[in-house]
Formats: sequence, structure tokens, C-alpha cells
Amino acid sequence: MKKWGEVALGVVTSIGGFLEVGSIATSVQGGAQFGFQLVWALALGTVCLAVLMEMTGRLAAVSGRSYVDLLREHLGIRFFIIPFVAVLVPGFLVLVSELGGVAIGLQMATGIAFRWWAIPVALVAWALLWRGTFGLVEQGTALLGLASVIFLVGALKLHPHWSAVGAGLVPSAPSRDHAKYWYLVVSILGASISPYLYLFYSAGALEDGWTIEYLGVNRVTAGVGNLFGGGLAIMVLVCAAMVFLPRRIEVDAYEQIALVLATPLGRTGFAFFLITLCITCFGATAEISLAGAYLFAQGLGWPWSENMRPSADSRFASTYSLLLLLAAIPIALGADPLKLTNISMVLSAASLPVTVIPLLVLMNDERIMTSHANGWLGNTALVLIALLSIVLFLAAVPLQMLGG
Amino acid sequence: MNDGLDLRHDVQDAQLKDRNRENIGRCDSLVLELRDGSPPRVAAMLIGGAVRRERVGRWMATLGRLLPGARNSASAVSRIPFDAVRSIGTTIEVDVLRDDLPSEHLERWLAKHVVCRIPGADQKQESKT
Repeated sequence: MKKWGEVALGVVTSIGGFLEVGSIATSVQGGAQFGFQLVWALALGTVCLAVLMEMTGRLAAVSGRSYVDLLREHLGIRFFIIPFVAVLVPGFLVLVSELGGVAIGLQMATGIAFRWWAIPVALVAWALLWRGTFGLVEQGTALLGLASVIFLVGALKLHPHWSAVGAGLVPSAPSRDHAKYWYLVVSILGASISPYLYLFYSAGALEDGWTIEYLGVNRVTAGVGNLFGGGLAIMVLVCAAMVFLPRRIEVDAYEQIALVLATPLGRTGFAFFLITLCITCFGATAEISLAGAYLFAQGLGWPWSENMRPSADSRFASTYSLLLLLAAIPIALGADPLKLTNISMVLSAASLPVTVIPLLVLMNDERIMTSHANGWLGNTALVLIALLSIVLFLAAVPLQMLGG
Repeated sequence: MNDGLDLRHDVQDAQLKDRNRENIGRCDSLVLELRDGSPPRVAAMLIGGAVRRERVGRWMATLGRLLPGARNSASAVSRIPFDAVRSIGTTIEVDVLRDDLPSEHLERWLAKHVVCRIPGADQKQESKT
């Protein structure tokens, strides 16, 4: 019985983890410009993330070690530095964007400029990490994140042609704005498949004490959780397509994004949009700061656990504190959160190969995985994701210049 | 350990734990001792930022020397005699105490001068479930 509680919780957490500033912003831009045509990119991103989370979760449950820990040991410090930097730099930019997302939400709610909110929001997130345990961080943000179900309500209220939405599941080339289209594909994939998400997930499996008996929980959490999360992101896109496309509005600020819910649901929709934006971005802020601290601590062999008091793992606690503080600076100085979001999603997409390709080796190492190594299905999926990640790596920067 | 020990696979970069099973860093480098008339043997494991940067590459080591506190980090290297190894598995347990290691200087310094001065550093709020 207890395990099913954990399954439910895990699923809810995945929903909360999926929907954040990046997926909201890129889905809205995609829907506004190309209607339902980009639904396939969200679906593809969702499946890839589910596969990667299932694998890093399985890796942690079977070996009792985190993905970062195994990366350092198998790559050695000389090559570990590459994924380390490739996760840290885009991850930090995503953290700044999430903090910006909360700040923008608060600006829209109060009228006080977003830059003034940067430091207070960072402090509240810091206090949660400093005082809370892993369970509190995970469950608290997850349950509140359920507010994002409002996007489903909004989409239903707008009465889209669901067959047209379904048709978007099949990839198709655009009739115009090719560079912009493929740029949005890369951003959507970058927003869905964030390295910090599966690094956080594998560390979380250890924080929650997962063992081999949790492989079922892991599969359901990664699969069903992301299915719901990705489904909600598609609803965001549907809302945007219904609201913006007919009016030919091109989205270039967060203030406009609120219209996706304000149009079908009025003031309540607007309020719910702000609540959802603030909560999901706040949750992501906490998770990315922790993921950064896990990256340092596990890579360098420090004591680490969000369940330990800060004085027992002072470098770990100092790392997330410092990351939050540094992330607040660009926002406090008035950096444009939406521009930052777009750049960080593309960079995030470009960084994928170095965390995806090593997984192929680790998931097939029987000394680590015993009898739970990847089968042919898992390996085929992982090879395809690795190939996709290489394409994203090569295409990201040129597309940023052409379409961004 | 019948197959012998693969230093690069089993020891280099492995997670090290002290006698209380606390994390004390990873094996950043190995020291071989050359002896007259007998084969070289592993003398010690090294832990520390300076050693790590050396292994990443010369450019990284040079970069490290430009950082503030470079002199401190050069002296903050722990040398753990190989004789202190108690077991080698997925982690390596060594018979030393975390508090005695120079490479744990930053952890101790942060705990004493920063972390413990902030309220709540010594307790955690449990979640309800």
C-alpha cells in the first residue's frame, strides 16, 4: 500500500518537474506561431525524457549510486570535466530563467517590477532547501504544482479540433519560416529533455532510499508521470494555438503568455496562470539548485544529502546557497527572463550528448547493472536518443543565430 | 580480489570513505613508490583540488594557480597511505579520520565560519508523510 502512495507521489512530482518556465514559454511560442504543428516535438521530448529518467532511476536503484557518481568513476576526472561543465553552465542559465519566471509572475500579480523580486524569491527557495528535507522539497512543490491542471481546463474550454491536435503528432515540414520552426523544435526538445531533471531524479532515488524493489515504482513514475507532464505541456501549446494564432500575435514577453488562460477563463484564468507560473518555476528553482549541489558533491566525493543538516555537509549546503545567490543577480539587474529562457533551452539541448552517450555504456555494464542491464528495446531507444542529441548539438547554435 | 586490482578501474576516481564511512573525496591520483631491486608499488592515494586540476590538464593546473587561494589549495592535498586501505568495493574504505585530512579543510572552514552562523544549520524540518 505504502508503495502505491509513493507511485502516486512520484507521478505528481514528475508532472510538476515537467512543466516549468522553459516548457511553458517554448510551448506557447510554438503554438502561437505554428498552431498544432509542433505537438510532435513535445511528444518526442516527453518520450525521450521518460526513457532517460527510467534508466537513470534504474541505475540508481540497482547500483545504489547516482548517475554523476558513476560518470566520474567511469570517465575519470579528465573526461568528467566535460559533462560537468556541460551540465553546470546551461543548468545555471535555466536556474536564472526559473527564478525570472517566479519574479515575472509576482510582477504581474503585484505591479512591482520583477527585478525587485529576484533576491526575495532566491531567499525563500534557499530557506526551503536549508530547512526542508528532500521529501518536503519534493512533495511540497509537487502537490502545489497540480495547479497546472488548469491548462487542461483552458484547452477544453477553447474547443480545439482535437483531430487537428492529433494530426500534429506526425512531424511535418512548415510551409514558411523554416529557421524559426526548427529553432522552436530545438527549444522545445531542450526544455523537455533537461539534464538537470534526470540527474536530480537519480540522486532523488537515493535520497528516497530506492532499492531493486523499486524498479516497478521507477517505471511507473518515469512513464506515467512524464506522460501527464508532457500532456499538460501539449495543452499549453493548444491554448496558445487557439488564442494567438488567429490573432497573429507573436509572443515576445511573459505578460502576453498569461493570455493563454485569461482568454478562455477570464480573471480566474489569469490568476491561475500566475499561480501556476510561480509554483512550477519555484519548484524548478529548488530542484535545479539541488541538482547543481549534487553535481559538485557526487562528482568530487563530498558528503551530501538534502536530509542531512547543513552543518554536516557544509560544502553541499554552501553550493546550493551560492548557486541561488548568483542566479538572483542577473534578474536583479533586469535581464530579460524570456530571452534568457530561450537561450538556455537551446544551450541545454546542445549539451545533451555528453550526458546521454555515457549512459549507453553504463546501462550495459553488467558489473553495475547485474541482471537489470538494458535489453534490446532499451538500447535501441537510447541509441536513437543519442543520435537525436548529436543532431541537437550540431543544429542548436546555427539555429539560434538564424531563428532566435 | 582474485583477478587482481585494476588501478585505473577500481581505484582511480573511486569514492573514498573514512573509518566512520563518511565521504572524504575521491581518489584523485595515485602515488607509486620506486624501490631499488624490487618492483614499484602503490604508496598512496591523493585527494585535492590541485591534484585534480593537474590530471585534467596543464591548462587547468595553470588556471588553478591564478585562482585566489591557490597556495592554500596546493597545501590542501591529503595523502592517504595505501596501507590504510581497509576494503575496496564500489567505494574504498580507509582507516583515517575525516577531521585529520587537509583536503577537508574547506568543509571544516565553511561549517565553522559560514554554515553554523546561519540559523537552522543544525536541524532539518521533517515532512509530514
